[in-house]
Amino acid sequence: MFNSTGNNFGAGTIQFKDYQASNYVVLNAKFSYDPTNAAYQAADVLEIYVPDLSIDRSAVAGVILTFQDRYVYSSYTWNNDGGTAIKSWIKDKNTICLEKFTNFDDKGEITIFIQALYAQKNQPGNPIKGTRTRINMTQETRYLYWSSDTFCVIFEHWVFLHMQFSSCSYSYRNQPWEANMEDFPTDVNADVPFLGGSNQYNPSVNGYSLAHVENGVFTCPERMSGFESTGYDPFIFAFLVRDGEEGNGDTE
Amino acid sequence: MIALPSIAFGGFSGSAKGVTARQVGGRSILSLKCFPTGAATGAQLARRASLKKISKSWKELSSSQMTGWDRLAEHASGLSSLGQTAEISGLNLYIRLNVNRTMAGESILSDAPEQLSVLPDVVYDKIWVTPKTVVIKGITHEDGYKLVIKMSAGQSAGVSNAWSKTVILSPGMEDDWGDANMTMLYFKTIGVKPAVGEKIFIEMYWLEPASGFTGQSVYATKVCESEEDAAAEGYVKRNQITMADLKEESHVSECDVDFSTNAPVISFDAVCLGHSNVASSEAYLEDELPSDCVGTSMALARGMGTGNAGLAAQSYIIWLRNSSWDGSSITFAHRGGYYVKPTEVFGPGILY
Repeated sequence: MFNSTGNNFGAGTIQFKDYQASNYVVLNAKFSYDPTNAAYQAADVLEIYVPDLSIDRSAVAGVILTFQDRYVYSSYTWNNDGGTAIKSWIKDKNTICLEKFTNFDDKGEITIFIQALYAQKNQPGNPIKGTRTRINMTQETRYLYWSSDTFCVIFEHWVFLHMQFSSCSYSYRNQPWEANMEDFPTDVNADVPFLGGSNQYNPSVNGYSLAHVENGVFTCPERMSGFESTGYDPFIFAFLVRDGEEGNGDTE
Repeated sequence: MIALPSIAFGGFSGSAKGVTARQVGGRSILSLKCFPTGAATGAQLARRASLKKISKSWKELSSSQMTGWDRLAEHASGLSSLGQTAEISGLNLYIRLNVNRTMAGESILSDAPEQLSVLPDVVYDKIWVTPKTVVIKGITHEDGYKLVIKMSAGQSAGVSNAWSKTVILSPGMEDDWGDANMTMLYFKTIGVKPAVGEKIFIEMYWLEPASGFTGQSVYATKVCESEEDAAAEGYVKRNQITMADLKEESHVSECDVDFSTNAPVISFDAVCLGHSNVASSEAYLEDELPSDCVGTSMALARGMGTGNAGLAAQSYIIWLRNSSWDGSSITFAHRGGYYVKPTEVFGPGILY
């Protein structure tokens, strides 16, 4: 775990969970910024300044940008929260860069989820293969259904997670969701962006809902309004640091 | 160009029948009008058009801006920051730096840079030229600068000077983690692949896009050798799939699948176009994938469209396979999020 030493877009201190190998790093952080901030508006690329990383440069990785967009009516709230992927890379040992993606600056506060692995290229060796572990999502009363592409790849210090929603029993569609993630490490604790669903007021992107993974349990208290639209398959894509296993280490 | 004593042509200047006389530094110089040999390439035509536009724009500068360029030119004269030592006028400096800038995709600079930039030389380990590969390896990365690379078509091995036949292949590229893989650019610009035994003339220098200044040119020649000879000499192909490695029928318009991470991921940057109304794109490979790179990967993506869900995040499962039935391929198959094409698949993809 470490804190940022500064940034060029007025976001305050950002706390990172990290696993740092000699030739790649896995970073997790969730933070927000105000697009009306003068520092943000002056920046071409968003830069987060950090203490020395184990690598001095990385290839591009993907992180998730999200925003809230809700319309409150007398009897219900029309939730058009949205999000998409933006590019991020390590510029030098002390600077993490984010693509400045201005399409949703008019929505107010923007929240970024960094759950990324930053790799280097032209290294002396091919990729190291992991093992795919199917996550068996269980519930006392089963109401959530998941695609067969719901799986993880577990490493000693971090885990890759991909989940893809299929359907929900009708009577549970507006309830808070909870399910056990069998065979998923219990030492992962993270908010994760759940991207998908038709976004009526922001049709250029998917919807965004917030989910949480902790102690092998998946929760998602509420979903955006178009969550179950056909063809907008909600998914989670994250490289997550395992608790107690952070810090520096060698390539696994 | 012919320089003559001023006794004969002192005070004479002007053009007649393709001969131009001018006074430079107290000397009279006669020059013959030069005509380009061969048809101009697209890049040459673009450069000439840009030169004309930049020359014209000089007249639109304010007098203080012109003075700024003249002052900088006084400092630039005699220094090597433009790749050669010579006296230069403010106008010529303005043109030269702005040609460099526009070549690197930047706009025309009206105000002279505040100071001269001295750029480093291009430092590299080795150049490899085979009929299938043109690559410069081990380039020392220089942040903020772009690499300009000029190469000639294959010449007879006995030719010792063909620098005038080099053309710009890269008007300003960044080294790709120490490599400059020129294969596609060479084939596209020169039009033919080098043949074994032919000599390639190469010139390269750094360009600072912000100012337009360039470093000194580094010159090299390389005789094209066979794949086998290059391998015997120590050439190891970087484990990376680019457009140069794909068959034409592939459904991607950009491709950089880099296996050289030595980490549990592949690095992707591919633009998937889709095909046949299925939510996937195939990249058909000319050669087999290394066996330890065969497997499945999963990566993040974002739409590049303008319509519905045009910027939607997506996840893609990627199958990397060698098949005795239909060859080697990489399949990018859509999974999460709304499917849109084209889509850019980018970033690290876990390999399992």
